[in-house]
Amino acid sequence: MNRFLRWLGIAVAIFIAAPLVIVVPMSFSNARSLQFPPPGYWLGYYQAYFTDWSWLRPTWNSILIASATTMLTMVLVVPATFALVRHRFRGKGIADLMMLMPLAVPHIVMAVGYYSYFGSFGIVHTHLGVILAHTCLSVPIAFLVLSANLKGFDRTLERAALSLGASPTRTFIHITLPILRPGLIISALFAFIQSFDETVVAIFISGRDAETLPRKMFDSIRQEADPVIAVISTLLFAAVILGVTVPLVVAHIRNKQARLAAA
Amino acid sequence: MSHLKLSGISKSYGQFNALEAVDLDIAKGEFVTFLGPSGSGKTTTLMIIAGFESATSGQVEIENKSLFGLAPYQRNIGIVFQNYGLFPHKTAAQNVYFPLQMRGVKKAEGLRKAEEMLELVGLKGFGHRHPKELSGGQQQRVALARALVFEPSLLLLDEPLGALDKNLREQMQIEIKRIQRALGVTTIFVTHDQSEAMSMSDRIVVFEKGRIQQVATPLELYHRPQTRFVASFIGESNLIDVKITDAAKREARNDAIGAIQYAPSNRPPTGSEATLMIRPENIKLSRNPVEGRHNVRMKVETIINYGDNALVVGKVGEQMMRVRVLGADVVIIKEGEECCISWLHDSVYLIAK
Ligand SMILES: Nc1ncnc2c1ncn2[C@@H]1O[C@H](COP(=O)(O)OP(=O)(O)O)[C@@H](O)[C@H]1O
Ligand SMILES: [Mg+2]
Repeated sequence: MNRFLRWLGIAVAIFIAAPLVIVVPMSFSNARSLQFPPPGYWLGYYQAYFTDWSWLRPTWNSILIASATTMLTMVLVVPATFALVRHRFRGKGIADLMMLMPLAVPHIVMAVGYYSYFGSFGIVHTHLGVILAHTCLSVPIAFLVLSANLKGFDRTLERAALSLGASPTRTFIHITLPILRPGLIISALFAFIQSFDETVVAIFISGRDAETLPRKMFDSIRQEADPVIAVISTLLFAAVILGVTVPLVVAHIRNKQARLAAA
Repeated sequence: MSHLKLSGISKSYGQFNALEAVDLDIAKGEFVTFLGPSGSGKTTTLMIIAGFESATSGQVEIENKSLFGLAPYQRNIGIVFQNYGLFPHKTAAQNVYFPLQMRGVKKAEGLRKAEEMLELVGLKGFGHRHPKELSGGQQQRVALARALVFEPSLLLLDEPLGALDKNLREQMQIEIKRIQRALGVTTIFVTHDQSEAMSMSDRIVVFEKGRIQQVATPLELYHRPQTRFVASFIGESNLIDVKITDAAKREARNDAIGAIQYAPSNRPPTGSEATLMIRPENIKLSRNPVEGRHNVRMKVETIINYGDNALVVGKVGEQMMRVRVLGADVVIIKEGEECCISWLHDSVYLIAK
């Protein structure tokens, strides 16, 4: 049984890692289009990516849209989560359901909806349109992450702070917020990634001006299978690896220092 | 003059009355324990004093000033919660500094005071540790230091020792008393453990079903309980339901035991119902009747031997009786046998219905 589980684990790991093993070498390939295994290696496509505005502009768009989406999402989700987790009121059940609705509706349906609905406001093919649509998709994810954190939050801590002379506002700033910070960061990160990664809605409503990176990659792979796609995938992968490992390493070092100081 | 005064405090949740007309005066520097079974309203009373709950009626005064309308953070009352409520993102010293910080004390001075307080609770040199790097007892001490460092007018402790094991509990009981005495802070300590209440308190307030049953010193509570509930909740007791047959001669009658005389008491008139209490340690076990005592025969059902002493449980007719004897004396009797139990009239205490 144990051995079976181990092999299963290895198989799953391989299955997940396989695309990376293919994509990373292809990004250094000198072939004209995506081809595996690569016939030879060079850095030309990296240079192409960093100098070609038709790639840099969608990258910038994506960063801009994902950042704005994250901010808007958090502005909406933080108060909503506190209200929904901590208070009981009429219509709470429906409010809960509405928050999570976008998770259940297929993106393609949402995309068609936004396309026709945003059209009547003239915000199709604009950054604003994409940001609004992405926010709708990010809200339930951010809400799920944050509400799980908030439910686990021990409210005795707030009572303790109040009894020690902190006003409700100062209690929130000094106690609630710092303790929830990891949850807030993860929730914001999920909102950002959701937007950065989102393709279907972006294809429908981002247009030329607000074209996002996933949309550009999709267009490109359909037309010419440009190896720059492999470059972008590799860079994104590297960014994720850094994003995951750096905090872990920092936490590890801090822990070690704390333990040394304590000893 | 009372330091804390509760008058006519009631609290209802819808139809349910969690507290009914609670009156209480506590003197400055006193250590008072709220004792009562779970759900009897102890926490509710504390939370009303602290300002986290509002009373349905009645008022709370400290030094003759009503606390009405003051939010918890304006009341200057220190609280130690059952699970301590230490801030996990702050070190022990920062936790203790927090109330000073909220009062505008400069960081250097505040941290110095925090360290002094930690030293008083026996945690010198632990200031830089985070709560999760401290044991349960140590966390408890930090919580205590934090609740005391700002010189509160009142210290409230809600079952603070509930999560600790027995040895640590006893150690902390002594510690809390020592610190309370050293600072002279007026303290309310909540527990459902009667031995804890007996060993720590100047006075005990016994709660049952949202009402105060009795307020008294530990010894008074033990020897002169005013209600049947108090008698059964504090220590072990034999409670015998009787009818007063002659109030002047202090005679009562129980169906199983027959006529019983009780200690001087000025209460119920002839013909009324009452309860007699005899503490198990005031009953003697012997083979034959003892002269000068009230003797009855008991059939022994169970003997629980604790080494230095033993509890003998048996029946006199239908009346269950518990007798506490010295360990060495228990050898004279076996389970299932008949024996003689006896007591002095003076150890029979009458509780009016
Ligand atoms: N928010 C509330 N809503 C309804 N009932 C409550 C609430 N808080 C406490 N109670 C009830 O009030 C009674 C007293 O509770 P509490 O003061 O916590 O008891 P104790 O601390 O003595 O165990 C209990 O029966 C409890 O169920
Ligand atoms: Mg309680």
